[in-house]
Amino acid sequence: MSGPNGMLYGGDEIGALVFDPGHHSLRVGYAQEDTPKADIPAVVGVGPATHIPNSEEKVPDGNITQTGSKTGSELRHYIDVTELHVPRPGMEVQTYMKDGQVDNWDLFEKMLDYCYSKVIRSPSEHHPVLFTEAVWATRPVREKLAELIFEKYQAPAFFLVKNAVLVAFANGKSTALVIDAGATQTSAVPVIDGYALVSAAARSALGGDHLVAQAKLMLNAAHIQMLPIYSIQSKEVIRERERARYTLKSLPAGLTQSWQQYMLKRQYEDFCHCIAQVSESAYDERTAASVPGVHYEFPGGYHQDFGPERFKLTETLFESSLAAPHLACAAAAACDADARPALWAGVVCGGGGACVTGWAERVARDLAARAPSSHRLKSHAAASLAERRFAAWIGGSILASIGSFQQMWISSQEYDEGGKGHLERKCP
Amino acid sequence: MADILDILDIEQPATEISRDSIIHGDKNKKKYVTAKAVKRPEGMHREVFALLYNDNKELPPLLPTDTGKAYKQTKARLGMRKVRKWVWAPFTNPARKDNAVFHHWKRASDEAKEYPFAQFNKQVSIPSYSESEYNQYLKSEDWSQAETDHLMDLCQRFDLRFIVIHDRWDRAAFRDRSVEDLKERYYNICSILSKVKTNPWSNTVTMVNGEKRVYHYDAEHERKRKEQLRRLFDRTQEQIDEEQMLLAELKKIEARKRERERKTQDLQKLISRADSGTITPSTPTNHNTEPPGTPSSMAANMRRHDRKLHKKKITTQQRPMRAVENVTVEWSGIKFPEARGTGVWLRSQRMKLPPGVGQRKTKAIEQELRLMNIDIAPTPTEPICKHFNELRSDLALSIDLKNALASCEFELQALRHQYEALNPGKTLTIPASICNTSVDSDSKPVGEIIDVVGSPGAMNTTI
Repeated sequence: MSGPNGMLYGGDEIGALVFDPGHHSLRVGYAQEDTPKADIPAVVGVGPATHIPNSEEKVPDGNITQTGSKTGSELRHYIDVTELHVPRPGMEVQTYMKDGQVDNWDLFEKMLDYCYSKVIRSPSEHHPVLFTEAVWATRPVREKLAELIFEKYQAPAFFLVKNAVLVAFANGKSTALVIDAGATQTSAVPVIDGYALVSAAARSALGGDHLVAQAKLMLNAAHIQMLPIYSIQSKEVIRERERARYTLKSLPAGLTQSWQQYMLKRQYEDFCHCIAQVSESAYDERTAASVPGVHYEFPGGYHQDFGPERFKLTETLFESSLAAPHLACAAAAACDADARPALWAGVVCGGGGACVTGWAERVARDLAARAPSSHRLKSHAAASLAERRFAAWIGGSILASIGSFQQMWISSQEYDEGGKGHLERKCP
Repeated sequence: MADILDILDIEQPATEISRDSIIHGDKNKKKYVTAKAVKRPEGMHREVFALLYNDNKELPPLLPTDTGKAYKQTKARLGMRKVRKWVWAPFTNPARKDNAVFHHWKRASDEAKEYPFAQFNKQVSIPSYSESEYNQYLKSEDWSQAETDHLMDLCQRFDLRFIVIHDRWDRAAFRDRSVEDLKERYYNICSILSKVKTNPWSNTVTMVNGEKRVYHYDAEHERKRKEQLRRLFDRTQEQIDEEQMLLAELKKIEARKRERERKTQDLQKLISRADSGTITPSTPTNHNTEPPGTPSSMAANMRRHDRKLHKKKITTQQRPMRAVENVTVEWSGIKFPEARGTGVWLRSQRMKLPPGVGQRKTKAIEQELRLMNIDIAPTPTEPICKHFNELRSDLALSIDLKNALASCEFELQALRHQYEALNPGKTLTIPASICNTSVDSDSKPVGEIIDVVGSPGAMNTTI
């Protein structure tokens, strides 16, 4: 915190935790670290507790959070990949998120329980908690969250920050036009001096999930079967584009539709991760064909090269009027004219969607074409993909470990005195 | 062996103690010629110089060496001291109002002192008012008290970031207002309160020479500015292109205009040159068409000049080319620039000759002034400035005219000699009216004969 020569350095760690809930995953970790401790899928498997794991899929029991007494009707909650990705009869996969906010509080509590017991492994009373929230977060949700953190988890302090602000902070800016490409939504939010301009924010439902849905359509059209990885017992090495030869695993009966869908979606996500690439300019068959293809092997063993399809796939993210560059223009246009030059000079991209190869470059290019030429345009995205993906969490990690931030927390005393009213005043 | 030691600059160990070494011991010691202190050349950096000339005039080492102390300590010096303990200690932050206790790591040896980051807790001071004060001073038809309270609350919360305040404005409870409206109301309240209240709370009030100066917010101007800015930013690409095109066209037009002006000037010079050269033929016609000695008004002069302009074209066409044509009155008088740039300036600046006046002319004017017993740099009062400038302008003109006259005479003489040479035995009698050699040349003011272009001062010249 302070050096030997009396100089005051910026950081002062007070053991705070940063939670960044999203539709795809929940990021959690200690402030002042550069990556979250855990990145947990934002779904909870709910199934009957009667199922006894087979010997080969035995996992440490600790990962299973139990609720209620051991009666026949009790439900178990399966959280994180090691638990969730095991085929269990009757296990339904449910998400607690809706429209960028926590919706199912019972499930979310389970998730927080899991975070504290398995990730943090430290009593919740010891750690101030910083939560990120969507820019459009509503008051009841915020208050409910504060109530949960203070009353159930007895946290000494709590704070809520808009994720767009944190993305800007993670990129070293306090004034920026933040383009956050999430799983279900893409948003463009102007941030001025660390305050998000809520009324100027623009968003669309064109996110990573849309890309996954497109990938599904594309593979269906190409008659390529995507088998879930859990269903494959073994596969043989075959030549490219040859018919797959594999044996199926004998699976327990009664696997739920939601779980199968979820597993399949993970598979498509993996496919997108591997092959999706954004072309530099609007899709052009010839330029796309000139780029060497990328090889992908499906779980069943079938494998082939993907060429221009890779670019065609991502083009859906850019050709509609809800694409990220359009959102950015709309958000900037909704701002006061005095603020616009600063915003255009700091366009910041973050979120998991920004990790698709070439995405940030394409956004920068489209913006240069669309932004008013009277402004100096500068777009920025972190070089490393982890920094892009976890931008909001990293911003929270930075913020919570700054010395001068420590006066901003809503402490438990304040919550006891003023109740939820503090939230609106203290966390703008 | 000894050579190597010499090269390596190692003291030769006195291993052999012989008679010789005892006697010549001192001589054997190599005396290093200390390099003459070479002065560092001007402009060379000290570091570069030190590389070239060190004490022994050695070359710098090829390999980096890290012996000795450099600018910084390269390696941590690990001492044998005991490590100082760190403890997870509670602290309170004076910037907080609730005395919440957080924990952080600190050295056990560090004494407890105030939380260092508390010093960064800066707050903007926002004026406050009581109910009665509001009713007395701050009432407005446009703003209700609740709305004003809301504004002040947001100002406090967002530290006067009006763009953010505008964003978070409670649109459900109050009507939407522009950033300028909010600023106008806020600064209005500030100025009213700073007048009626005595405690200096506000950052909009500065004390200048003991009196309060209140920041005045010109909302109308700001609105106009914002509107202009908005229009500027909202231009489409076509509009911008069109504007660029128009600007380029304007530049072209201006360039053409300048070109035209330059040509006109050239033409005028040519005319005036021709004027001074063709006095002889043109004077009779002048005398014919209008009575001499009526250059009463500028307008008349200009008219005559215009007419002559047409005439000149004809005469120049008719006249054969002369052998000698170096008579020029290119310039007449001095034009002192009137308006200078903005700001304060010395009046004596007005008496400075413009840069267009050459060195020789300046000298000649000074010479004339000296002859007339006039100070070269008189006290620049308003009338003196005016008259001095006029005088010098006239002097310059007279010098020009004198020069022109001299060259005319020279030409005349040259032509006479030419004539006499071509027609031996004959003598050319030059009429007295154009001969300046006689003393009675001042019978007629020169200004009447020679029509000097573009010098209004030349009309009432007093040569």
